[in-house]
Amino acid sequence: MAKRQPSIDTKNLTAVQLMELDSCTRCGECVNWCPTYAASGQKPGLAPRDKILRWRQFMNKSYGLKAKLFGPTEIPSSELDEFKDDVHGCTTCGICATVCESGINTVELWESMRTNLVKKGIGPFGKQGMFPKLIGQYHNPYLLDQKARLDWVPEDVTIADKANIVYFTGCTAGYKQLALAFATSRVLNKLGIEFTMLGEEEWCCGSALIRTGQVHVDDVARGVAKHNVEAIKAKGATKVLYACAGCFRASKVDWPRLIGEELPFEVIHITEFLADLIKKDKIKWETSIDKTVTYHDPCHLGRHVGVFDAPRYVLEHIPGVKFVEMDRIKEFQRCCGAGGGVKAGIPDLALGVAESRVKDALETNADILSSACPFCKRNLSDGRDSLKADLEVEDVIVLVAQALGLSVEEPKSE
Amino acid sequence: MAYFSGLTDALRITFVQMMLVSFIAMVIFAYGMIINFQKWGAGVTGYALEPEAGSKGSAIRFLKTWWNQVVEESHHGHGKPILEVLVLDIVLQRRILKRSPFRWFMHFTLVAGWMSLFALSGMMFTVEMAERVVELPFTAAQFREFLQVPNDIFGYLLLIGVTIALVRRLFVKDVREASIMYDWVLLGTVFIVTITGFLSDGIRTGDIGWSLGLDPSIAPPAALFHSVISLLFCIAFIPYSKYIHVIATPLAILANKGGE
Repeated sequence: MAKRQPSIDTKNLTAVQLMELDSCTRCGECVNWCPTYAASGQKPGLAPRDKILRWRQFMNKSYGLKAKLFGPTEIPSSELDEFKDDVHGCTTCGICATVCESGINTVELWESMRTNLVKKGIGPFGKQGMFPKLIGQYHNPYLLDQKARLDWVPEDVTIADKANIVYFTGCTAGYKQLALAFATSRVLNKLGIEFTMLGEEEWCCGSALIRTGQVHVDDVARGVAKHNVEAIKAKGATKVLYACAGCFRASKVDWPRLIGEELPFEVIHITEFLADLIKKDKIKWETSIDKTVTYHDPCHLGRHVGVFDAPRYVLEHIPGVKFVEMDRIKEFQRCCGAGGGVKAGIPDLALGVAESRVKDALETNADILSSACPFCKRNLSDGRDSLKADLEVEDVIVLVAQALGLSVEEPKSE
Repeated sequence: MAYFSGLTDALRITFVQMMLVSFIAMVIFAYGMIINFQKWGAGVTGYALEPEAGSKGSAIRFLKTWWNQVVEESHHGHGKPILEVLVLDIVLQRRILKRSPFRWFMHFTLVAGWMSLFALSGMMFTVEMAERVVELPFTAAQFREFLQVPNDIFGYLLLIGVTIALVRRLFVKDVREASIMYDWVLLGTVFIVTITGFLSDGIRTGDIGWSLGLDPSIAPPAALFHSVISLLFCIAFIPYSKYIHVIATPLAILANKGGE
């Protein structure tokens, strides 16, 4: 009789991650802070602690003492399916890692579990399964023509053919949220910063694939990372600017791992770049924005890589801005709800989380809820609309452009 | 040795038999740790990899992967120096303090008491063993008396910690509802070990509070009971229960450079 095989395997889960399952003390801090658990009406399966418990039980059934002595215990496929739904109901915001008393790197644990299950044919979640095909074939997740990458560039914007600085637009700003691209390019021009762009050689950063457990599928993620790095090198750039927190995180953390070497250029978020210019007194503001502004830390910019102060520094230096903080900020910020594939896979859950964050902002009596990520802007705007709240949601770079007297609109055709 | 004299003459447990129980506890512990290391070592050695075809879980692979992660540079920028992590995050349990000073007090007293008593018991054991082969400037009995004060201090620390933990788990609704057998077994066994420690010591010394009026003649079996369950729960049971966190949590904190 053939020996029974374990119902799960350990693909993509590192030896340290498997140990982390046993290091959880079940203190419950992650449960207290998890935004999707809260927005779901406290669905038990979404609690990070519960996910760790269940995978630990899966591991013990498959590789523990009893499995060693008497063979693995079968895990019903319905249990694995249910687990798949729960592990994808996470925005990978990382608050559970921040508050984890055992110091578990939970974000990477969820991503590894997702990939592990996808490799078994369990998952991803809903529409997320389209990402590899779209990004592999179109090099962007929006099914749009690569040749149209620079179609948004207005006549008044000057882009060098080669420069020391590359502006990596990102698919969302380049195709969907053009105000972000107008603002960034015009601000750089206004400040006399020579920059170039990759045009149709700019491919999706791969973030959507990595976050949703599809990093391996057809090796698309590695392919886009390699391509982008080569394209940036070909431009001769030593600095790459990002106004998208998702692309920024993918470039800074994921690309070096995917290509197996350090990047030959510096990865800089636009708010870090602007904060530096302000410190050097190189920005001459032209307009006052007489409004109360609060700031939402994008998870991918803040908790994931530690950029907390630069966006605040920029906002505080915009003339007329009265800057106020929400209760939950910086490493303890509440996620907007869009990340980790939740916006694409479980939009209702994403909206619920966004509404909670908008309520946080409303408590400050701010006129503007700012952020530094197009996904945050989109989802927070949806949350605002759902609550019918009187609150402007705007990116920091757009506010900077306005304070420099720049338009963030497309030029009107004559 | 008279100390381990057993319940009756017929049920006498000798020193050799006690050593045998200790040895068995160590073997059970070691076997369990190997199983755990192999279970963890069934994982891959780095980001986004797959296990080697046909390879089984390996304790060596686990240890190598763990060490590589400890020394590699973090792309997230969260890494803290290893000494800082050891002192502040592992010994002083800073991550718990940040979340809840009350729970930190509970856990710290519990751990400080448990670890210190473990070390003091180890010292007592060493003296008892050494006395059999070399001449010491003091007797084992004198050394036991010398340890009485630190044993009391750390014993009460442990008692405070475990009592708070138990009361909290029993009477705080959210905590009670979230508790599973995995949690109860750990806390229950620590509580039993702690209480039997106080009782056996109280009976031996005739302490009014802890002897419960019991005859000092039952001190040896009481001490024996405490010693055996301590060996079973605090050593042998570690790899098979929530006790494993006393090993896995410091290793995880070190691997993640103090965590985010």
